Amino acid sequence: MAPLLEVDDLHMHFFTRDGVVKACDGVSFTLEAGRTLGVVGESGSGKSVTAMTVMRLIPEPPGKVVSGDIRFKGESILSMSEKDQRKLRGNRIAMIFQDPMTSLNPVFRIGQQIAEPLRLHKDMSRTEAWAAAVELLDRVGIPQAEERARNYPHEFSGGMRQRAMIAMALACGPDILIADEPTTALDVTIQAQILELMQEIQQRTESAIIMITHDLGVVADMADHIMVMYAGKAVEYGPADEVFYNPLHPYTWGLLESLPRHDVDDKGALCPIKGQPPSLINLPPGCAFSPRCAYAKPECDKKVPPLVEIDNGHLSACLFAGDIDFICQYENRVKRGEDSGGDV
Amino acid sequence: MAALLEVEDLKKHFPVNQGVLLSRLGKTVKAVDGVTFSVDEGETLGLVGESGCGKSTTGRCINRLLEATEGKVHFEGQDVRKLHRKELKAYRRDVQFIFQDPYASLNPRMTFGEIMSEPLVIHGVGTRRERQDRCKEMLEIVGLNPEHINRYPHEFSGGQRQRVGIARAIMLRPKMIICDEPVSALDVSIQAQIINLLEELQEEFGLTYLFIAHDLAVIRHICDRVAVMYLGKIVELGGWKEVYNSPSHPYTQSLLSAVPVPDPEKQRRRARIILKGDVPNPVDPPTGCRFHTRCPIAQFPLCAEEEPPLREMAIGHQAACHFAKPFPIPESKMGGEVPFDSQPG
Repeated sequence: MAPLLEVDDLHMHFFTRDGVVKACDGVSFTLEAGRTLGVVGESGSGKSVTAMTVMRLIPEPPGKVVSGDIRFKGESILSMSEKDQRKLRGNRIAMIFQDPMTSLNPVFRIGQQIAEPLRLHKDMSRTEAWAAAVELLDRVGIPQAEERARNYPHEFSGGMRQRAMIAMALACGPDILIADEPTTALDVTIQAQILELMQEIQQRTESAIIMITHDLGVVADMADHIMVMYAGKAVEYGPADEVFYNPLHPYTWGLLESLPRHDVDDKGALCPIKGQPPSLINLPPGCAFSPRCAYAKPECDKKVPPLVEIDNGHLSACLFAGDIDFICQYENRVKRGEDSGGDV
Repeated sequence: MAALLEVEDLKKHFPVNQGVLLSRLGKTVKAVDGVTFSVDEGETLGLVGESGCGKSTTGRCINRLLEATEGKVHFEGQDVRKLHRKELKAYRRDVQFIFQDPYASLNPRMTFGEIMSEPLVIHGVGTRRERQDRCKEMLEIVGLNPEHINRYPHEFSGGQRQRVGIARAIMLRPKMIICDEPVSALDVSIQAQIINLLEELQEEFGLTYLFIAHDLAVIRHICDRVAVMYLGKIVELGGWKEVYNSPSHPYTQSLLSAVPVPDPEKQRRRARIILKGDVPNPVDPPTGCRFHTRCPIAQFPLCAEEEPPLREMAIGHQAACHFAKPFPIPESKMGGEVPFDSQPG
C-alpha cells in the first residue's frame, strides 16, 4: 500500500525581483499513519514553506513548484484540480498555525469558526455543526464549552486559542495534522498542556502529525522521525533516537552542541555554529553549510552532497557522512568537552 | 561581598484606564508586587518566569525606565528612586540595558557608528575622532567587522544587530547591564554565539548582569543565582544548582518538568507535572498564595487564605510555599523529577 504522504524531491522556488529564492530545494520524506515527523531547522530553513506546499497554500506566482511531487495515499496532490485539492485541505490534511492570535478570525465566534469546515466538508446543517463544534471544544479541554463556543477569539487566552485551533483542525478527523510551530508563542506550562493534548489526540485518532519546530526539546518529546533542514534542504533524516544519539550531519552536531541544557548536572561552554545562515537567493557553491562547518574540507565547496542512506533508514546529506574518521573527529571533540566538565 | 544592587519590596502597579467604570473603581494591574533581591558585584542574577509575571517590569523599574510605585532600589548604596536629573544620568551610565528585539531597538535611520557613539555623545565622552575609534574597537570586540561602522541595521541579521545592541550597552563601561530577553528572538546557533559573547564580556569588563529570560535552559547556563517569578512575586530564589537540582516551590518544579529535554530517551522517562489552566489575571490576583489556583499540592483553606512568605530552605535558597521543606543536605537530583512533599513544613 502506498504510504499516507510521500514528498518526493520537492523544489519550491519563489521568483522575486531580487532573484530566485530557493526556499525548499529538494525535500523528500514519507509519513505513515499514526506517526509523527518532526521537522527542525532555524528560521528561513524552509520548514514552513515545505508544509505550506503540502497544503497548497503558497500563492503562485511568486511561488512555483519547479520539480518534485507530493502524493497523498498514492495520488499526486500537485496534479489535482483546485476543487479536489480543496476537498483535501482542512478535511484530510489540516493545519495548526503558529500564532493563535492572528490565525483566528476576530469577527466570528469561536464555535462558528470550528463549525465552518464541518459545514463545508461534511455537509452538516448549522445546528449539527454547532453541536459538533461544542463537542470538539470540550474534547480539547475547554471548560464550559457550550458558553465558550459563543465567545470571540479576543476573549480567549493564548493557550485556549491554540486549543480552539486544534479543535478546528480536528473537526473533520484528518489523516494528517500539520502543526507549524504550534507552541512557540506559548509559555512553557501551556506548551506542556498543548503537547500532551496533541499526543493524546494522536493516540485516539491514529492521525499522522508533521511537527514543525525549532525547539529540539519539543521534537524529542513528540517525534518518531526527524528531518533536519538547512537552507531549504533536508540535511538529515532518520528515526528520532538515531538523529539524537548518532547524528550524522555536522549541522545536526552543531545544533546539539549549541543548545544550553537544563537537565544535565554541569554547565559547559556552548559551542555555537560560527557565522550566519546563507541568503537563499545566493547560496554558497557545493554544500550550503560548508562555510559554517567546523569539519569542512576543500571538496565540500565543489559538489552538492545528495541525501543518501547511511544506516538503516538514517539519511544524511554530507559528503563524509558515515566516514568513520569523520565521525571520530566529532566524537573526539565531544569527548574533550566531557573531560573538561562540559555537557554533551 | 557588598551587594551592588539591592531591591526591596519593589512594587509597580499600572492603573487600568480602559473603560470609565474600571478606572473609577481604581483597579490596577499589579505587575510587580513586592519583590526583594540583591545582586552582588560580578555575578549574574537570572529573573525567570512566564509572560506577564513582571520580570521585564522589574528590570525597567530598576533602570527607572518606569517609575516604581513603592519600594526601594539601592545601587552602590544610593537610593535610585530619589535621584534627580544629573544623578540619574550618571546612574544610567553605570546601569545599561540590552533589549529583546534587535529589530526594534536599533534606530533604522542611524548607522552602527551613530548608534554606538550616541551614549558617548550624551555623556560628553571624547572627541569625534576618539569616539569613532572607540566604536571600531568595540565592533571588533563584539565580533563584527570594524569596517561596518557606516552601515545601517537593515543590512544585518538579528544576531549581528544584537551584537551592536550589546556594543552600545558596553560603550560607557557600565558596572551593570540589565539584559531583557537578549537571546529569545534568535535562532539556537546564533543564540549560543550571543550567550558566549555576553560571558566573555562579563569576564573582560567585570560586568554584573541582571538577566531576564523565559528560557530556563538559557538562564541556567548563564546565571549564578536565579529568581523565579510568578504573578509579580518571587516564589523561589537561590543558586542555580539549588534551584535546578532541588527546586522547592511547586511552581518551579512544574516549570522545570514542563520544559521538554532534547533527549528522547530521557524525555520518555521523565515524570511530568502538567499545570492546569492559565495564569490568572494580574488585575485580580488570587488571594493567599497566588499559585494556589494551579498548584498540584495546594491545601485549603490555608493556601487560599494565607500568603506564604519567602522562607530560607538552605543557605541562600528561599522559597515562598507553605509546604516547601528546608533541605538538610543538598541532594543532587535531576531537574523536575523531585517528588512533591505534601507535609506542611
